[in-house]
Amino acid sequence: MTLPTTKPVHLVGVGVAVAVAVLLPWFAPNQFYIHLATVGCINLMLVLGLAIIARAGQLSMGHGGFALVGGYVSALLSMKGWPPLLTLFVAGLVAAVIAAALGWIILRLRGVYFVLVAFAFSQIAVLLALDMSSITGGANGLVGVPPISIVGYVLRAKPQFYPFALGCALVTLLLTWLLYRSPLGTMMAATAENQRLTESSGIDTHRVQVIAFTIGSGIAGFAGALSTHYLRFISPDSYTFWESVSYLTMLVVGGRDGVLGPVVGVLVLTPLPELLRSTEGLQHIIYGTMLVLCLMFVPNGLASLVHTWRARQHVAPANATRVVEEVP
Amino acid sequence: MSMDIILAQTVVNGLMVGMIYVLMAIGFTMVFGIMRIVNFAHGEFYMVGAFLFAILYGSNEMPFAVSVLLAVGATALLGLAMERVVFRRFRGNEINGMIASVGVALIIQNSALLMWGSSARTVPPVVSGVLSIGGIVFPWSRLVVIIGAILAVVSLNLLVVHTRIGRAMRAVAQDAEIAQVQGIRVDVIFPAAFVLGVSLAAFAGVLMAPVLSVSPFIGLAPTLKAFVIVVIGGLGSVPGAVVGGLLIGLIESFAGTFVSASLAEILQFLVVIAVVLLRPQGLLGRKEREA
Repeated sequence: MTLPTTKPVHLVGVGVAVAVAVLLPWFAPNQFYIHLATVGCINLMLVLGLAIIARAGQLSMGHGGFALVGGYVSALLSMKGWPPLLTLFVAGLVAAVIAAALGWIILRLRGVYFVLVAFAFSQIAVLLALDMSSITGGANGLVGVPPISIVGYVLRAKPQFYPFALGCALVTLLLTWLLYRSPLGTMMAATAENQRLTESSGIDTHRVQVIAFTIGSGIAGFAGALSTHYLRFISPDSYTFWESVSYLTMLVVGGRDGVLGPVVGVLVLTPLPELLRSTEGLQHIIYGTMLVLCLMFVPNGLASLVHTWRARQHVAPANATRVVEEVP
Repeated sequence: MSMDIILAQTVVNGLMVGMIYVLMAIGFTMVFGIMRIVNFAHGEFYMVGAFLFAILYGSNEMPFAVSVLLAVGATALLGLAMERVVFRRFRGNEINGMIASVGVALIIQNSALLMWGSSARTVPPVVSGVLSIGGIVFPWSRLVVIIGAILAVVSLNLLVVHTRIGRAMRAVAQDAEIAQVQGIRVDVIFPAAFVLGVSLAAFAGVLMAPVLSVSPFIGLAPTLKAFVIVVIGGLGSVPGAVVGGLLIGLIESFAGTFVSASLAEILQFLVVIAVVLLRPQGLLGRKEREA
């Protein structure tokens, strides 16, 4: 289901949303809201990465593992004196290369095996980070990761970092949207819909899935690195299995189909942990309950409610022909 | 300590851990084989079983047999409720079923955290003393775990191979629709298989509770092990789960004793990759007929 975004109404909607996001630092009551927005931007990139993999019909339970790898790569290189602006991309590249190798091996198997091995990979990544303490600092992690600087302008404080994070998130969003509309995007959607039929149309679905996994995990590596330079700290606890689960929750609650789903999921679920900080267990119970309830009652996510509502609006003026174009 | 003793103890430890993994993996692979659901919450039932046993046997000092029955029975009821409310709806939908099981895992783990707190509890040993054979001593506490797990696997095997419901389960695992046509009540078999899998996990938790300490977070590690084992042994294969479980237990024990614990984990991961590359259907799995 692609959004018919060419309509002027949608362009206005997107424009207003971007304007609100850009102007946030001016009307935010305090720095905490800017922090929340920055975390939201990083989450959005991670969830978009997961969405791209899901677009090709796979589910990655090891998404946090790639963010962890990216975070460590960027932290270690920048602590050696490399410019952080460069190491962000190196981090994404390393995560992508690992994903490509792993994906090439395990994506030949049925979906379930892929999930199990990707999950095992993320656990191994955490263990390696703990174990190679001479390089990674073990359980203490790496403290004092250098901040990002752009031509001498250092992004140290929250209001300075936020525009950069927002820019990265918007570029990722745009590229994902373009990907979905490209021939490769169509192949990915076709693979998810019916792998054998797609295969019989002469498309190498294994390759399509490996590419999707590589792109998605590369984005995770980049986002993990971005977060590391924002918090200026990374430890093996930064990206555990439960982080992977929370990105998955955002994706499922928001919706897996278009680019709107991840945005909705991140907007709904990023502030939640902060509101419920006093009772950590309760927050996870709410995440779990939302996940299960969404799968039961809104399996296409909250974003799909917009489509349903819009479809009804179109039906109301008794104009049945316009409804047809809403059907995927 | 001489080499013999260290070796013998390493083997016993490996078998003990391996048998626990076998119990976990059999339950996991059964639920997948019959319901087509990858249950990420499997380890949480292990954790609940261990916790209930710790509370009943450790804190309330109830008799051992009663504690075991109550702990496993209550966990099985929880499993039945989860099957009714959640898993039933996702039967056959692999991806959504898997995501739902993650949600269930989050709910169970954090409910345990809220109810019982995050601090680890220890359970008093069920038996004490050692068994000495030819100068090599084996602590009874560990042998009990091995014996208990073997009993569970053997009785499960009897159930699956020789009883009516066991035959029905195997039929459903092969082809649910055809089984239904033959008059097998699939609606009964699905919850029965799920509850059986959950009970095995709970029993594994009960057995391990006196050996390890119990906390709300102990469920994830055995879940990961069950995943690794079923990939090695073949998804849906019970003999594969036994071989894979013992293999992983021994690798863990030997690498842990002689090199380092994290090397053991990395070795296991490499074994998984090697199996996936060389024998994708698993060591004892059959090539799956595509529907």
